[in-house]
Amino acid sequence: MERDTFLSRVGRASLTSHLPDPPAVSGLPEPDEIDLLALFRSRAQAVSAVVHGPVTRHGVPRAVAAVATGHDAATFMAWDSLPAPGVASALQTAGLDRVDHVIPAEGRVDHNLTYRDLDVGITGAVAGLAESGSVVLTHGEGRPRLASLVPEVHIALLEVSNLERTLAHWARKTPTLPAETTNLVFVTGPSRTGDIEQQLNLGVHGPRHVHIVMIR
Amino acid sequence: MSEPVTFLGRAEALIGTREADAVGTGARTFLAMRDGAAEGFPMFEPLRDQARVIRLHSLRHLDRLLARFADQVEASGGQVHWAGDAEEARQIAGEILQGTGSKLVAKSKSMVSEEIEINAHLEELGLDVVETDLGEFIAQLAGDTPSHIIAPVLHMTRQDVGRLFEEKLGVAYTDDPFELNRIARIHLREVFLRADAGISGVNMAVAESGSLVLVTNEGNGRLITTAPRVHIALMGMERIVSTWEDAGVVLETLARSATGQHLSVYTSVITGPRREHDPDGPEELHVIVVDNGRSRILAGETAEILACIRCGACLNVCPVFRTVGGHAYGTVYSGPMGSIVTPGLHGMDPWWDLAHASTLCGACEEVCPVRIQIPRMLIELRRQAAAEGRLPGWLEWGMRRYARAATDPARWARSKRWAARLTAPISSQGWIRRMPGPGRGWTTSRDFPRPAKESFADWWRQRGT
Amino acid sequence: MDGPKVQLFVTCLVDALAPEVGRATVRTLEKAGCAVDFPDAQTCCGQPAYNVGLFDDARRMAEHTLDVLDDTEGRVVVPSGSCAAMMVHHYADLFAGTGREDQAGRVAARVRELTQYLVDDLDSTVRAGCAGCTVAYHYSCHGLRELGLESQPDRLLEETPRAELADADECCGFGGLFSIEMPAVSSAILDEKLDRVEASGADTLVGGDISCLLHMEGGLRRRGSDIEVKHIAELIGDGDV
Repeated sequence: MERDTFLSRVGRASLTSHLPDPPAVSGLPEPDEIDLLALFRSRAQAVSAVVHGPVTRHGVPRAVAAVATGHDAATFMAWDSLPAPGVASALQTAGLDRVDHVIPAEGRVDHNLTYRDLDVGITGAVAGLAESGSVVLTHGEGRPRLASLVPEVHIALLEVSNLERTLAHWARKTPTLPAETTNLVFVTGPSRTGDIEQQLNLGVHGPRHVHIVMIR
Repeated sequence: MSEPVTFLGRAEALIGTREADAVGTGARTFLAMRDGAAEGFPMFEPLRDQARVIRLHSLRHLDRLLARFADQVEASGGQVHWAGDAEEARQIAGEILQGTGSKLVAKSKSMVSEEIEINAHLEELGLDVVETDLGEFIAQLAGDTPSHIIAPVLHMTRQDVGRLFEEKLGVAYTDDPFELNRIARIHLREVFLRADAGISGVNMAVAESGSLVLVTNEGNGRLITTAPRVHIALMGMERIVSTWEDAGVVLETLARSATGQHLSVYTSVITGPRREHDPDGPEELHVIVVDNGRSRILAGETAEILACIRCGACLNVCPVFRTVGGHAYGTVYSGPMGSIVTPGLHGMDPWWDLAHASTLCGACEEVCPVRIQIPRMLIELRRQAAAEGRLPGWLEWGMRRYARAATDPARWARSKRWAARLTAPISSQGWIRRMPGPGRGWTTSRDFPRPAKESFADWWRQRGT
Repeated sequence: MDGPKVQLFVTCLVDALAPEVGRATVRTLEKAGCAVDFPDAQTCCGQPAYNVGLFDDARRMAEHTLDVLDDTEGRVVVPSGSCAAMMVHHYADLFAGTGREDQAGRVAARVRELTQYLVDDLDSTVRAGCAGCTVAYHYSCHGLRELGLESQPDRLLEETPRAELADADECCGFGGLFSIEMPAVSSAILDEKLDRVEASGADTLVGGDISCLLHMEGGLRRRGSDIEVKHIAELIGDGDV
C-alpha cells in the first residue's frame, strides 16, 4: 500500500475514534536520595550479574584478566575504546587470543561462524541504572554489539560516576541518544528464559555470565 | 476433527486439563512477581499514569507519529513498507527475502508475525524459517500454537519438551531443563550465525528518532537483528510513542507488569541499519508497518485497546483465562485484551462471544500498566452483539419479560409470588437442586436459591410504618 | 429515631431470594441511629440487562428506578456493591446526553453502599458480631474495584475473629448471567474460590453482595460443607455486638 493511502486511512479513523480523556499528571516523580552504588550492586546481583570493585583505572586490566582466567577462557572480543587502557594486552599476556570483530560485507556467514567458540566479550558502558542493575551500551566504530551477546561471558566496565537511578530518568537526560547510535542496549544480567515449566535458566542464547567491573 | 467455534465449546474441552492447569499456575506466578515489583517500586503508580497519557496521545496523533517515524527510519538508512492487511504484509516480507536472496530466516518473538501467519507463506516460497525464542522454537517443533502471549509453551511439561527434542533434533532424551536449554542454545547458535535474514517484532517504535525498541530476555532478539545481513521488523501500527523520553516511561511499566522484572535482560533500541564504521549489524533494515484491522478498531468504540503494550498482566490476573488457558480464545491474542482485539481485527463473526467470556470483575483494568478500561469495552462489545441480534433467544426473551416486570410494580409483585409458587415443589430447605431450562447449567454444580415465600417487600408492607 | 432518614434500595435479589438480608439491613441501619424508609415501587436497578448489552431493557429499568428514588430525599442505602456501583457509575453511561442525564447524576450522588454509608458517612460504632464464629470475608469485585470497598467492611469486622482467606479479592465466578451462559467456566472459578474458603478454616463466609454469596453458598451446599454464609448486614443487624 502507498504511504499516503495507509496514513489517510489512519487519519480518517481518528476522526470517529472514541478515546477517553487522559488523566491529569504531574511530571516524572523525583527519586529519593540513595546510595546509587549500593542499590546498583544489590539489584545487579539479584539478576545474577557479578559486580566487582570499584577499582581504579589502573586496576582494571588485572580485574578483567582474573575474571577471564577464572572462566578458563581461551578467546576474547574487546571494544577498541574502553574506559581503562591495557585490557586487551593484559588478556593476551594471560594467554587468550583476540577475535576480530568486524563483520565483512562479503563472506559474512563464514566470518560469523568463527564466533562459535568465542569465550569472553569485554565492553564499556555509558551508564548504569541502579534501580534495575543494568548497564547501558552504545555501539559504533570499534564497539561491536556481538561482544556482549555471543560469548558465554560478558564483562562490562562501568564508571561509578555514570550511575543513574532509572531508565526513565536517564532517557530524560539523553533525549537525542537513540539517533546517535545504531544500537543502544540496556543489559540487565545474563540471558535468561523461563519458557520450560517457568524454571529459570541462564545463558539461553546470550551470555550465561555477566561481570560488571566498577571503576572509580 | 474440527475445533469448536464458540469460546464455550473450546473452554469446556480445556477446563481441568493438564494444559489449562499449567497455564493457570504459570499465570499466577507471573502475577505474584508483578505484584512484588509494583510494591517494591514506589514510582510505579505515577509512572503508570504517565504511560497512559503517552499511549493515549499516540493514538490520538497516530498518523502524524507514523509519518515522522517513517521519515526518520528512512533518514537513518532503513526502509518502511506499509501493509494494509495480513496478506499484503506476507507478500512484502516474501518479496524482500526473495529479493535479497535470503534462504535461512531466523525469527524472534513477534505477535504480529503470528497474527499474519507469515511462517506458512515463507515456507511456501521455499524459505527455511526457524523460531529462535525458546518457547516459540518448542511450539514450532511441536506444530503447536502459543497458549500465553508472554510464555508460549506454559502448557507443556519438561517431559513433553524432552520427547520433542529427542524426536525432532535427534538428541538423547533428557527432561532436565538445564540440559534442554543447552541443547537449544547449541542448535540455535548455528541458525543465528548462518541466517541470511532476521524477522523481529517491535515492542515500541519511537517517532522522533525512527527507532525500534525490542524487549527480550534470551538474547535471540539481539542476535537476529545483528548477525544476519537483513533485518525485517514487523510492527503493529499502534505500537509507537513520540519521543525517547516517552519510551523510557513506558519501559518502566512493561517488564514489571509482565514478569515482575525491573527491565527485561535486553532492552535494545535500534536506529537504522549498520552505519559506515559499525563493526556489525545488518546491511538492510526493513520496517513493515501493519494495519490488518487496527484502523477499524481505531475508528470505533474500542479504540482504547490499541494502547495495549502486550505485557500479559491482564491474562495473568483473569479468573477466566486462568481456568481455560490461551487456546480457548481461538487466536494469538487471548485473555481480556484478546477478547477485545480479536473481534476488532477480525469482526464479530464468530468472535462476538469472547466479550462474554468474562465476569466483569475488573481485575484486568486494575493491573493494566496503562490502565485500559477493559470492562467498559467488554460491555460495549456486548451492546454491539445484542444490537446485532447475536444473543441467544432465551436470554433476549427472558430479559424483555424481566424488564417488563421490573417497570411495573404490580407485575413485579405478581412475578415474585408466581416464582415462589412454581419452585416450591422442586426445592428443599430453601434450595433447588435441579433447575429447568437455562438454569440447568447452574445446578449441574451448585444449588440454586429458591424464591422466598415472603419477599422483603411483603414483609415491609405487613410490618406497617 | 432522631438520626438521618435514609431510603433503602434493597435490590431485586434480596427482595426475591434473600429477604432476611433486607430485614437485617433495616435493623442495622436502625441500630446505627437511622430512620429507614422503603420506596415500595422499587424493583431492579437494571444491571443484569446492562451487563449483557441489552441497553434498552436496562434503560427502562433504570428509568423506573430513577423515578422511584427521585421522588424521595436523603441517602439511598444499598446492601450491594454491584447495584450501588451500577447507579453511581453506569447510569451516567446509560443516560449521557439524554434528557435523564441530570436526574441520573442527582440520584447517583445520593447512593451509598451499606458498609460505605456506615463507616464513611456515619462513622458509626456498630460492629459485626458473631457468637463463636471465625469469619472469612469475600470482597465482591464491583464493590471493591468500582467503589473502593475494602477498609469499610474491615472496620465493621474488627471485633469479629477473622480467618485468613487467601486471594480474598479474587472473583467468585458468578458474573451475573455469565454463571448460566458459561456454567462450566463459572463453576471452575467457583471451585478454586471454595477450595480457598475451606482452606481458610473459617466457619462463616461473609460478604457484602448477596449475588456472590448465593453463588458461593450454592456451591458449598453441593459440597456438603458446614460453612455458614451470611451477608455482613446479618452480622451487624442480628449480631450481639
